[in-house]
Amino acid sequence: QSTITWRMQTYAGAALAEHVVKPAIDTFNKIAGDRMQIELFYADQLVPTGELFRAMQRGTIDAVQSDDDSMASPTEVTVFGGYFPFASRYSLDVPVLFNQYGLNEIWEEEYAKVGVKHISAGSWDPCHFATKDPINSLADLQGKRVFTFPTAGRFLSQFGVVPVTLPWEDIEVAVQTGELDGIAWSGITEDYTVGWADVTNYFLTNNISGAWIGHFFANQGRWEELPEDLQLLLKTCMEQSHYYRQWWYWGGEASLRVNGDKMQLTTIPDAEWDQVEQAAQKFWDEIAAESETKAKVVEIFKQYNADMAKAGRPYRYT
Amino acid sequence: MPRLATGFVHYVDAMNRFIGRIAMYGIFVLIGVLLWSSVSKVAFLPSLWTLETAQFVMVAYYILGGPYSIQLGSNVRMDLFYGNWTIKQKAWMDAFTVFFLMFYLGVLLYGALGSLAYSMGYFGMQPLEYFAEFFGALFTGGFNAAGEKLGFLERSSTAWRPVMWPVKLILAFGVFLMLLQCLAELIRDIGRIRGEEI
Amino acid sequence: MSQELIAITMFSGMMLMLLTGQRVFGAIGFVGALAGLLLWGTGGVDVPFAAAMKLMKWYPLLTLPMFIFMGYVLSESKIADDLYKMFHVWMGPVRGGLAIGTIGLMVLISAMNGLSVAGMAIGATIALPELLRRGYDKIMVTGVIQAGSSLGILVPPSVVLVLYAMIARQPVGQLWLAGVVPGLMMATMFVIYIYVRCRMQPELGPPLPEEERNVSRAEKLRLLRAGILPLVIFAVMMVPFVRGWTSLVESSAIGAMAAFFAAILKGRMTRDVFETSVRQTLAISCMFMWIILAALGFGAIFDGLGAVGAIESLFTEKLGLSPWMILILMQLSFIVMGTFLDDTAMLVIVAPLYVPLVGALGFDLIWYGVLYTITTQIAYMTPPFGYNLFLMRAMAPPEIGLLDIYRSIIPFALVMVLALALIMVFPQIALWLPGLVYGN
Ligand SMILES: NC(=[NH2+])NCCC[C@H](N)C(=O)O
Ligand code: NA
Ligand code: NA
Repeated sequence: QSTITWRMQTYAGAALAEHVVKPAIDTFNKIAGDRMQIELFYADQLVPTGELFRAMQRGTIDAVQSDDDSMASPTEVTVFGGYFPFASRYSLDVPVLFNQYGLNEIWEEEYAKVGVKHISAGSWDPCHFATKDPINSLADLQGKRVFTFPTAGRFLSQFGVVPVTLPWEDIEVAVQTGELDGIAWSGITEDYTVGWADVTNYFLTNNISGAWIGHFFANQGRWEELPEDLQLLLKTCMEQSHYYRQWWYWGGEASLRVNGDKMQLTTIPDAEWDQVEQAAQKFWDEIAAESETKAKVVEIFKQYNADMAKAGRPYRYT
Repeated sequence: MPRLATGFVHYVDAMNRFIGRIAMYGIFVLIGVLLWSSVSKVAFLPSLWTLETAQFVMVAYYILGGPYSIQLGSNVRMDLFYGNWTIKQKAWMDAFTVFFLMFYLGVLLYGALGSLAYSMGYFGMQPLEYFAEFFGALFTGGFNAAGEKLGFLERSSTAWRPVMWPVKLILAFGVFLMLLQCLAELIRDIGRIRGEEI
Repeated sequence: MSQELIAITMFSGMMLMLLTGQRVFGAIGFVGALAGLLLWGTGGVDVPFAAAMKLMKWYPLLTLPMFIFMGYVLSESKIADDLYKMFHVWMGPVRGGLAIGTIGLMVLISAMNGLSVAGMAIGATIALPELLRRGYDKIMVTGVIQAGSSLGILVPPSVVLVLYAMIARQPVGQLWLAGVVPGLMMATMFVIYIYVRCRMQPELGPPLPEEERNVSRAEKLRLLRAGILPLVIFAVMMVPFVRGWTSLVESSAIGAMAAFFAAILKGRMTRDVFETSVRQTLAISCMFMWIILAALGFGAIFDGLGAVGAIESLFTEKLGLSPWMILILMQLSFIVMGTFLDDTAMLVIVAPLYVPLVGALGFDLIWYGVLYTITTQIAYMTPPFGYNLFLMRAMAPPEIGLLDIYRSIIPFALVMVLALALIMVFPQIALWLPGLVYGN
C-alpha cells in the first residue's frame, strides 16, 4: 500500500510557521510514517492566499491553516475569523467559545456547505498595533496605512486607519519601502519572531481583540478518504499545536513587553480607548443585521462575554 | 492558402492589434493612479483603492497587450540555433512547437475559467458546464435568469473589497486572445512553409 | 517518480524546449503545465493560473513598466545627446578618452533608469558610430558599450534588484543603496582597464585630433549643464523615496513622469518618440510579465512536486560542502544557466531555491543581492545566450560581426569577475552605504 501524501499550505511565513504549525505536522509525519506524509508549504508558496480557499475546495491543496477572513472564505462566518473586534479577551476564550458555546457546530455546518471539512479552531495572539511612529491617542491613528485583516480594517477605518492587504511575506519590506506605516496583525511575540520589530519602533499596548481565531481545514473528499485512525491522529496533532500556542504566545507577550528592547511601548488611556470598545458594540450589531447565521454568532459572543463579566475575577476585572 | 485561413489571420491580427493598442495607453492610467496615490497621501487621507486598482490595470495591460506583443515579435526566444535558421526552417519548427505554447495557454485558460466561475459563486468542479448553463440562461431567460445562476460573489480580501470577477474575466479573455493569436501565427507559418507570406 | 528525478526531468525538459527556439515563456510554461497535469494529482491544472493571481499581488512589479517607459523616453528622445557631447569634449583629448567618456555617460544613464536596455540603445546609437568614426577599435568599443550598459541594473534605480527584493523579501531601498558603490567601483575598473589598455596599444583608442580640441572654456563649462538633468530626474525620484514620503511604486511613477516632462520641455517629445516609447514599453513589459507568469507557475509546480527540497538537500547535505563552496557553486551555476536561460526566468525559478539557502548559511541577503546582480550581468553578456548580446547584435552596425561581439566581451567579463571577487571578500563595499543611511 502506498503512502498517502497531502499538501498543506499555511497563512504563515516560514519564520512564524516554525511555531504555529510545523511542530504539529512534523509530529504527525513521524507517527504516521509510511502510511501518510503531509508536506507543509508557507504563505503564498504554492498558491496566493487569495486563492487558497478555492485551491483547497478543488483539491489542488489538500489542507489549509488559516483564518476565515484572510483566505476570503465564501461563508457566512468569514468576518469572525481573524480578529472580530473585542470578541475575546484571552486566548482561552476561543476554545471555550468553540467547544462549550456552540461555535464548532456552526463552523462545521457552514463549511460543509461549500465542500470543505472544518477540522478544528485554535487560538492565537491578541491584535496590537506595531508602527513606525508612536500612537498615544486615537488621533495618531489618522491616515496610517496599516496591514491588517479585512474585517478589522473595515472596523478601524472609522478611526482614520487606512487598511492595506498585501502578501504576508511582503510586509516587512513594505514597511521599509513606505507602502505601510504599520501593522495591526498580531501581538508582540510575532512582531519579534517574524522581524517586524526590526522595521517598526512602537508597540501599542491596547488591543482590538484578545485572540485570533484560526483553523485547520481539509478538502472534504480527501478527508473522508482517510482511515479513521489517521483522521484522529491528525486532529490530535492539531489540538497539540493549539496547546503549544497557548503558552508560547501567553508567555511571549508578557516577556517581550518586559524584556524586549526593539519596540517602545505606548498606550492610549482607557477613557479614550473606550470609544473604540463602544464602536465595536455598534459594529457587532451591524454585522448581526447582515444575516441569520451572523446574528447567531454575535448572540453567542454577547452571551459569552456577559457570562464572563458576571463570573468576575479572574475572568474579567472590569 | 484557403481564403478562410488568411481571412482568419487578418481578422485576428487586426482585432488584437486594436485591443493591444488600447491596452498600450494603460501605462498612463497606471501612472495616473500611482501619482494620485502619492498626492492623496500627502494632501489628505491615503486612498484605499489605489494599490489594488493599479494592480488590476497592470493585469489588463500585460494580458490584453500580450497578443499585440507577439505581433511585435518582442517575446524573447533562445536563438542559439534558432537564430541561424532560414525563414522556412523557423516556420517548420514554430509550426510544431507552437502547440506546446498553445497547450500552456489552454491550461491557463482552463484555470482562468475555473477561477472566474468561482468568483461568480460556482463551487462545483465543472466550470465549463457552469458557463454553458450560465450562458444558456442568459440567452433564453435574459439577465434575470442569468442572475439566478450567480452565487456568492467573490470579493478581494481587502478593506476595499472589490468583486473579483471583472479582473478574472479580463484574464480569461486575454488568454483566449493569446490563443487566437497563436493560431494565427500557426497559419502564418504554414503559409511560409508553402512559400506564401500572409 | 522520485523527487530528484522530477527535478532533473523538469529542468532538462525546459532546456530542450528552449533550444527549439520557441518563445521563452511558452517553453517554460509548457513544461510546468504538463508536469502539473501529469504529476500533481487533482487540481494541478489550476496552478499555472494561480500564478497569475500571485503575480497580480506582487506589487513591486508595478515599477517595471515605469522604469521601462523611463528608459525608452530617455533613449528615444535623445536627451542623452547633450550628455554625450559633454563627455566627448571633456574627455576627448585623453587616449581612449572617448571610451572612458562613454562609461561616464553610462553611469549617468544608469542613474535615470532601471534596465540596461536604455544604456545599450543610447550607447549603440549615439556613442558607437562616433567612436568608430574616430578610429577606435571596434572590438574595444562594442565591449565598452555592453559593459557600460550593464551598470544600469546595479546603480539605482534597478529593476533586477526590485525583482530580487521581491523574491528574497529584502528591502528595495537598502538593495539599491548597496548597488551604488559596487556600481561606481566597477565603472572605475572599466575606466582603468580602458586607460591602461590604450596606453599599451594606442591604436585601440586614439585621442581627438588637435583641431577638434579647441573648444572654448566657456563652451566647455556650458556643456557641463547637460549633467544637471539626469541629476534632477534622479533626485525627483529618489529623494521622496529615501525620505519615506512616497512609496517605491509611487516614486517610479514620479520618475516616469519626470522623464516624460523633461523630454517635452526639451522639445524632444515628437509624435514618433511618443509612439515608439509607449509601444516599446508595452512590448517589453509584456515580455517580462509573461515570462514571470510562466516561471512562477513552473516554480510553484516544481516546488509542490518536491523538486525544490531535492535540490536543497543536494546542496546542503549530499555534497557536504562548506558555506563558501556552496555560494561559489551557486554563482557558477548562474553563469552556466545563463548560457541557455533567460535572466528573468532564471531569477524567478532559481532564486527562490537559492536565496533561503544563502540566508540559512548565514550570509547577508543584501550583499548577496549585489553579487547576484553582477553575476546575472556576466551571464547575459556571455555567449551563446545573453539578452544583452542579442540587443547588441540587433543594434550594432553591419561591420561588427557576431564574433566581434563575442570577443569584445571577454576582457570586460574578466573585470566584472574581479569586481565580484572583491565584493565577496570585502562585503563592506556593498554594505557600507545602506548601513550609513539606514543605520544598521
Ligand atoms: N528577460 C529579459 N530578456 N530581460 C532583458 C533585460 C536584460 C537586462 N536585465 C536589462 O536590463 O536590459
Ligand atoms: Na539604474
Ligand atoms: Na549568457
